[in-house]
Amino acid sequence: MDAANTPAPHPQGGGTTAPPSTTTSTKVAGEERVWRAGKLEPMPIRELPDAPPSIHLLGPTVFLVALGVGMGEAYMWPRLVLVFGPEIRWLFLIGVTLQAFVMLEMARYAMATGESIFFGAARVFKPLMWFFFGVAILVYIWPGHLSTGAAAFEEVSGVPWVVTACIGLIVVGILFSLASVIYPLLESLLGILIGVLVVGTSVAASLVGQWSDVTSTLGGMFQFGYFPEEAMSAAWFPVLVGAIAFAGPSGMQQMWYTLHLRDSGAGMGAHIPKIRGLRSAGQQEEMPSRGFMFDTDNPAEMRKWKGWRKWVTFDAILLFWGITMLVTISFTVLAQTAARESPGVADLIRDGDREVALTAMADAFASAGAPVLRGIFLGFIALIGLNATLGLFDSFSRGQADMTYHFVRGAKRFSMSKLYAGFLWGVITFGILILLFGPADGPGAILDVLAFLSTFAMGTYCVVLLLVNNRMLPKPIRPGILPNLVIGFGAVFYLGMLVYSLVRFGVVVG
Amino acid sequence: MTTNRMRDLGQVAVPGALIGASAGLAAGGLALIVGQSVGWAVATGVALGLPLALLGGGFSVLLGMGIVTPGVFAPAGLYWFVGFPVARLVHEALAGLLIVGQPALPPDVLGFLAYQAMVSLGFAIGFSWLHERFAPGWLRRIRQGNPAAERLYAFYLRHAEAQWQAKENRRRNRGAGQGLGRLIRPRTGGRA
Repeated sequence: MDAANTPAPHPQGGGTTAPPSTTTSTKVAGEERVWRAGKLEPMPIRELPDAPPSIHLLGPTVFLVALGVGMGEAYMWPRLVLVFGPEIRWLFLIGVTLQAFVMLEMARYAMATGESIFFGAARVFKPLMWFFFGVAILVYIWPGHLSTGAAAFEEVSGVPWVVTACIGLIVVGILFSLASVIYPLLESLLGILIGVLVVGTSVAASLVGQWSDVTSTLGGMFQFGYFPEEAMSAAWFPVLVGAIAFAGPSGMQQMWYTLHLRDSGAGMGAHIPKIRGLRSAGQQEEMPSRGFMFDTDNPAEMRKWKGWRKWVTFDAILLFWGITMLVTISFTVLAQTAARESPGVADLIRDGDREVALTAMADAFASAGAPVLRGIFLGFIALIGLNATLGLFDSFSRGQADMTYHFVRGAKRFSMSKLYAGFLWGVITFGILILLFGPADGPGAILDVLAFLSTFAMGTYCVVLLLVNNRMLPKPIRPGILPNLVIGFGAVFYLGMLVYSLVRFGVVVG
Repeated sequence: MTTNRMRDLGQVAVPGALIGASAGLAAGGLALIVGQSVGWAVATGVALGLPLALLGGGFSVLLGMGIVTPGVFAPAGLYWFVGFPVARLVHEALAGLLIVGQPALPPDVLGFLAYQAMVSLGFAIGFSWLHERFAPGWLRRIRQGNPAAERLYAFYLRHAEAQWQAKENRRRNRGAGQGLGRLIRPRTGGRA
């Protein structure tokens, strides 16, 4: 930590004057040591808790996996493989690896301060935070994931997708409102759903795939630079841009992950109370008005910090990167099996819109020797839709409530629980209205809106991440050159593709 | 091994065996939903569910005997790296036996095993994930008079107690106002 973070030489002196830098640490007269970051309230120095032992297999990454293993992995990338071959998967590798770095860097700020990355953005420049507040509303009020999952469920069960989607929305709202403490409920629920999904996809892939499918899938991940001419067309380039953005947790999901880290008590998040459900909102502890910092001059504290970094790296590599890769490899193997059995599927996908492509892929799976594959594919799409909805609705409400509570004047008289419930039921009500009276062309159009804004938010949060971690954290725990380079590359990658697509084809993402 | 010891370990094996069995049976169930014949679905379910249940139970027993430490991924990964391909090989042979009365092996056995070994890592993550969820609850029920279950449960309990203690400490600190910081802004020209 900067020299100013050492105990003041005159503890009872008349106060200290902070050096004129953006970020300093100092000891306030007669009070306690604080870490100053930006223009907002300084963070008091507190003890960093010990990192959990290795038994803590299931960290808050469960949310990122639930959100990340979504339509991109199960549908968009297998579809691209069917059209362009497995060689196109090198772009997926870049997308997911980039996301793993983003996850680690988001965790750096959240675990060091107990603050969300939104708070960090506000410390740099408050309008940045309001930008994300607005984007979250524009992007995530659309019930795209649930409606696509419900559409898949309709294929299997015959129940109209609007009915399933509306019931699903209400069930999610009731579930989170009745939960005493929301985080443990969600972690348990998603843990079981993801466990079933991972075991199920592995078994399905093991039944229908071949060694050659896996080798071509894996080999395709390293065909850096492969870009067929057709991919550069106005029809497909925007689709590719969207698919890269959908590789792993897209849009603002990484930012929300910082709130889940905090609520799970990771790092300095241990000093922040958990959010309670509406039913027990009265028991909600008072939220501090800012986060905390640990003493980075203390070697014992730094040892604990390294323990936390190890813990979150384990989560990032094994659980997030590993599961995302495995699920997508499994689905790609299924897709390749389908293509082998039905060579015409690529043309069907070229000609058709999203819903037709979804059905075409399911039919192709069915024709790949076993009709069971159609049910498996559609069942998993439905399960992924439910997973993503649980995670997204909770995350959206959590993020908006966090920003409202801390930065909207007068909002503190409502508890965090009530704000959370307000945003949750707000998004549910809007979702039901859209499903009943909204765009008549179904779930596909809703997902398209989401894809564009998601990509834009991702490029922007890479820039914010660089600013927050390099300016708001004490020097000993700032990111090194490699993470900075990778995150910088992320910003150029997402925003560059978006701008190129817009300039060259007049379309942003597909 | 005494009968009592075997009974104890048999009880400990239940969560892993159930996860393994359900993984196998899921394939059979889905086959029924999409219109496969009952015989085909049952054959797939049994032929895959049986070896996976035995292996899943075996993994729980290793935990109960203290050979494998709970919550660590590497042993589970290695176990299923070998076990899953074997289960699939048994499935192929057994399904052939049940459906056409003659065991059948895949044409390229080595390639088949290599492929299954790769897929096994995904299965291992899902299995560990679910096992960590279900095992502690089951062990709590059977731990009376079952030393293997008691020892394994005590491991989970110590972890849960440590977490609970840490949570209580944090809550106390917050209750005492320490967690909220009781911050007083500096009176001089700081940037707070």
